[in-house]
Amino acid sequence: MSAITTIDYLLPGEIVDNLKSKDRHTIIGPGLRRNEENPNKSLIVTQAGWLRFRSPNTYWIDSRRNRYIPKKGDLVIGIVTKKSGDIVRVDIGSAETASLSVFSFEGATKKMRPDLNIGDIVYAKLLTAHKDMEPELVCIDQYFRAGRLGILSNDGFLVCLNLNLAETLLNAENPLLRTLGKKFPYEIVIGVNGRAWIKANQAKDVLTICKTFEVAKNESEKSIIEACRQTK
Amino acid sequence: MSNLRKTFISNAERKFLNKNLEEWNRLDGRSFQEFRDVQIEFGKDWGCCQVSLGKTKVLAQASCELQVPKSSRPSEGILNINLELNSIGDPSFESNKQSDLASQLNRLLEKCIKDSKAVDLESLCVKMNERVWAVRVDVNLLNNEGNILDCASIAALSALAHFRRPDVTCDGIEYKIHSFKERDPIATVIHHYPVCISYAIFAGGDYIVADPSWLEEGVADAFLSVGLNGHKELCGLHLVGKVQLTPERVLETTHRAAQRAGSVIEVIKGAVEKDTSEKLLLKDTGFHKFDLQPIDLPLSELSLCLDHWSTAKGKKKKKPTKTETDQEEEESIKISKKEEIAELIPKEWDVVESDDDETSDDVVAIEPPKAEPVIIGDTESEEEDVIILNTPKNNSPKKKKKKQSI
Repeated sequence: MSAITTIDYLLPGEIVDNLKSKDRHTIIGPGLRRNEENPNKSLIVTQAGWLRFRSPNTYWIDSRRNRYIPKKGDLVIGIVTKKSGDIVRVDIGSAETASLSVFSFEGATKKMRPDLNIGDIVYAKLLTAHKDMEPELVCIDQYFRAGRLGILSNDGFLVCLNLNLAETLLNAENPLLRTLGKKFPYEIVIGVNGRAWIKANQAKDVLTICKTFEVAKNESEKSIIEACRQTK
Repeated sequence: MSNLRKTFISNAERKFLNKNLEEWNRLDGRSFQEFRDVQIEFGKDWGCCQVSLGKTKVLAQASCELQVPKSSRPSEGILNINLELNSIGDPSFESNKQSDLASQLNRLLEKCIKDSKAVDLESLCVKMNERVWAVRVDVNLLNNEGNILDCASIAALSALAHFRRPDVTCDGIEYKIHSFKERDPIATVIHHYPVCISYAIFAGGDYIVADPSWLEEGVADAFLSVGLNGHKELCGLHLVGKVQLTPERVLETTHRAAQRAGSVIEVIKGAVEKDTSEKLLLKDTGFHKFDLQPIDLPLSELSLCLDHWSTAKGKKKKKPTKTETDQEEEESIKISKKEEIAELIPKEWDVVESDDDETSDDVVAIEPPKAEPVIIGDTESEEEDVIILNTPKNNSPKKKKKKQSI
C-alpha cells in the first residue's frame, strides 16, 4: 500500500482540479463526484472534510459525518420495517428506506420464501443506490450465492457505531477485533452504514465489546493500535 | 448527538435487552434504581438553561409578556409550558406537528408544574382585571437518549427558578416596563419544586427500571411517571401501558422516586443559586463558559476494556492521566484566585445579593422537613437500594459483584 497524502480541507461545492492520477483514470471514494462540466479533469466535493489521495489514482474525502449515504456495492446491515407482498422495506440508516425483494435470497422461489419478519436484521448488499431513487438491496451475489449475506439471527445484538469507526474496524489491518477475539470468542458483522451485529456466548462479552466500541469511537486509529499493542 | 440515526428497534435488541434484565443487568451498566447524572447549565439570559440527563439534552427558555388576565381568574398571572419535540432531537419526530407523545408529555409537565401550583401566580398580577404577566417556558429537545420527561421537567423548573421578570409601573393609563438597568429584575416566587421521575416497567411488572434509556423506552411494556416535590408530596402520577401493577409496587416505587426527587431538587437549587450569585456579581456567565464535554476519553479506558480481566494493568495505565488532571486542577485554582480579586470590585451589588438571600431563605425553610423522610431510606446511595429490591427475588448479590468488576 502506498502512502496516503492529505491535500486540503474542502467544503461541499468546491472543485478539485489538477488531479495527480495516472492515465487519466481516477477512482473516487466517498464525498466526491464527477464534475459533469469538465469530466476526466476535475471532481466536485459533496462533503466537508479532508481530501486524501493515494497514488496512483485514488481520491476520497475523510469527514466526520453521522448520516449514511448509500453507495452501490456497499455491504450494510438493515432492519426490516415493513412487509408488503414480495418486497420488504429495510431501514439501513439512510434518508430513505431500502427495498429488498424476498426472491433475492439464495434458493428463494415463489413457494420457498425466506422467513422474514418485521424487526429482523439482514446483512445485504446495495444493488442500486442512485441519488434520485430508493436504494435496493440484495442478499445474493452475481452467482446467486448467499455467501455471508442473509438474515442475521436474533440471538445477537445490534449496536450503532459511527461511520468512521465502522470503516476503521473493517480495515483488515486493524488489530482491535483480533485483540478482543483473544479474550473470548464472538461473531461480528459490521455494515458500512455504521451498524454492527454482535453475538457472543455470554451477554457480558457482548457488553464488553459495546463498551470498547463506545470508547474507541473517540480514539484515533493510531491510538487504537497503540492500546492493542499494550495489551499483548 | 454523535450517534447515527436510529429509528427502529430490531427483534435482536429486544431479545438481548430482556435477557439482560432477567440477569438483573442493564445495558449501560447502571443498576435498576440508578439514574443518570443531571447537569444544568445556564445561559447569559435570565431563565435560559440547558439540562442534560446523561446524553438526553433539553434547552429551556422562560419569557414573559403583559397580558389581559382570564376573566375567570382576574388576579392571577398565566403560566404556559410548551414542550417541543423537533427532529433535531430525534429524526423520528416531525417538527411543526404535535404528535401524541408531545401532547402527552406536555400535559404531564403542565400537571406537574402548573397544576401543582408551584409558581405563585398571584404575584404575577400587575393590576387586577387589567394586566398580568404571562410567563411562558419553551422547552426544546436537543438530543433524545430516552426519558425526555424527567429532563424537560428539570429544565422547565430550573428555567422558572432562574427567571427574572422586569419591573413594571403604571401611571394610570400606560404600563411602563423598566429595563434591567433602570430597576432590578424580580425573581419568580416558587412555592415548591416538583420534578418528574420516570420508570420503565418490563415483563408485566417484574422489572422496574429507573430513568429508561432510548432502547429501554422502546422495549418497555409500561411507564410510570411520578411528579414529586421536596416535601414528598405527590404532584402527579401517570401509569401508561399494558401492565398490572399492585398498589404496593406503585407505592414502593413512589417512595424511591421521592428520594431521587430530593437529590434532583438539591441539584437544581444549587445550580440556580450559584449562577444567580455569579450573575449578580456581574461575572461573565453563559453557555460559552462551559467546557464542551471531554470528547477524548483517556486511552487507558480503551486498554481497560481490552483487558477487563486483569484490572491491575489498567490501573497502572491510568496513573499518568491522573497527574495530568492534578495539573489542571492547580491551574483552575490559580484562575479562581484571579476571579476573587475581580469579585471585590463591585461592592454596590452586595445589596442586591441580600435581596436574593430572601429567596434562599425560603429554600432553607423548605429543607428541614426533607430531613425527616430521609430516615425511611436510611442512606442516599442508590446501590444499596438495589440490594433491597433484589433480595426478595432470590437473586444472590454475587452477580452484582460481577457487574462491578466489568
